[in-house]
Amino acid sequence: MSTTRTILICSGKGGVGKTTTTANLGIALARSGASTVVLDADFGLRNLDLLLGLENRIVYTAQEVLAESCRLEQALVKHKQEPNLALLPAGNPRMLEWLTPKDMQAIVALLEEQFDYVLIDCPAGIEDGFKNAAAAAREALVITTPEVAAVRDADRVIGLLNTQGISPVQLVLNRVRPKMMSSQEMLSVDDVTDILALPLLGLVFEDEQVIVSTNRGEPLTLSDGNSPAARAYSNIAGRLQGEEIPLLDPAKMRRGLRAKMRELMQTKIF
Amino acid sequence: MTLHLPNQRSQHWKDALPGLLNQESSAPVELDCGEWSLNCSDWQQLLQLLNTMGRQLRWIRSRNPLTVVSAAALGLDAHLEGNCEPTAAGSDEPDGLLIHQGTLRSGDHLQCDGDVLIYGDVNPGARVSAGGDVMVWGRLRGIAHAGCHGSTTARIVALHLRPVQLRISTAVARGPEDQPLDGLTEQARLDQGAIVIEPAETRRFR
Ligand SMILES: Nc1ncnc2c1ncn2[C@@H]1O[C@H](COP(=O)(O)OP(=O)(O)O)[C@@H](O)[C@H]1O
Ligand SMILES: [Mg+2]
Repeated sequence: MSTTRTILICSGKGGVGKTTTTANLGIALARSGASTVVLDADFGLRNLDLLLGLENRIVYTAQEVLAESCRLEQALVKHKQEPNLALLPAGNPRMLEWLTPKDMQAIVALLEEQFDYVLIDCPAGIEDGFKNAAAAAREALVITTPEVAAVRDADRVIGLLNTQGISPVQLVLNRVRPKMMSSQEMLSVDDVTDILALPLLGLVFEDEQVIVSTNRGEPLTLSDGNSPAARAYSNIAGRLQGEEIPLLDPAKMRRGLRAKMRELMQTKIF
Repeated sequence: MTLHLPNQRSQHWKDALPGLLNQESSAPVELDCGEWSLNCSDWQQLLQLLNTMGRQLRWIRSRNPLTVVSAAALGLDAHLEGNCEPTAAGSDEPDGLLIHQGTLRSGDHLQCDGDVLIYGDVNPGARVSAGGDVMVWGRLRGIAHAGCHGSTTARIVALHLRPVQLRISTAVARGPEDQPLDGLTEQARLDQGAIVIEPAETRRFR
């Protein structure tokens, strides 16, 4: 059995950050030296290639590989700046029918022969698209935002993952706004983990740099920029590889300068 | 005068109802649903049909507990009738206990004929229905239906009882909105047809 970690990135609800997470995590893992491939299983609304700035370099998809009309190496798109990262689109948007769980298992088996990490960007929903994408996954990251509807859908997806023997299933809480959390206008971290009962792999703050980088086709983890979301994604990659990195506590984020000073005084730095 | 929906085997109620309504006067309708199992969307269709015929629904009679529950959930005046209370009087024998280990997540629906003990949470969006008692060794935050075949003595007990909705037999109630005291196990039971929530009794279940 291969030691490759094949991880499904899923959420139930759309627009909560699956693709953003896949792209940033892919880059971060690759940077740390792990050979990584991101598989775009959301090919109906394919946009992982856009986020990675690789749109214009796609020629083939997994479909041609399985039909043996091209070799895997031809279909894999290497990232320009990060040679440890490759992208493989599962299909193209006009071909909504071909992918089956068997196809998915076949293509992932090929990828597992040569990569350390296979990240699968999953479509929203819990229907066939999700089931196909999940067919070859061994573990999963569930992405949610601190909103009631997103958490409800994530819960549904976790139930389905559990019935498929996918484990571990870990949680990433995206678009966290510390201000809204501390004023209780948004579900708190505890509210979310209370319901979903999963290990929390990371928190990503709402960060406009995410949108800027999305439009530029350069994931945040690619540059040395130090925006909160960039750090969060790097930390998630680290934790995924077994590093012990403490989680930020958004409840403490808002304590003003004075509280921080007091803390420093107590530690007798002054 | 009462309108009777047709026997399930002879005709579908949707086909029969317009004819039945035409025969009648314009008086408010008393509807006998017989054995039909009508869910909330059936009721909505039925109400719409009545509406377009300019008729009002006064009250409902049914021999099917599920029909009464869904009607009650929509705020209709519904009554269960007939010999449909299998566990109501004198039966000390529970239909057996089902133990479910693990949390029910959104979209899950656990059903059983006897009592059920859930060792885990019932999350928002999940449902549990039992012919007998529903016991949750964990947090109940979804929908629970005890006595779903009509038993009026069934109870719902949870370490943390804050469901979206509670049903016992044919009664429906929304969950309380305030948080329970920490460490207080609560139960819901029927008291004169209405669901009451109180600290759980320590006596053995049925
Ligand atoms: N942490 C964040 N801060 C700000 N915007 C974000 C963040 N995460 C995602 N977004 C934005 O949310 C939108 C949806 O993200 P995307 O990754 O495409 O979601 P999905 O793949 O789950 O549908 C995108 O416009 C993205 O830029
Ligand atoms: Mg996406």
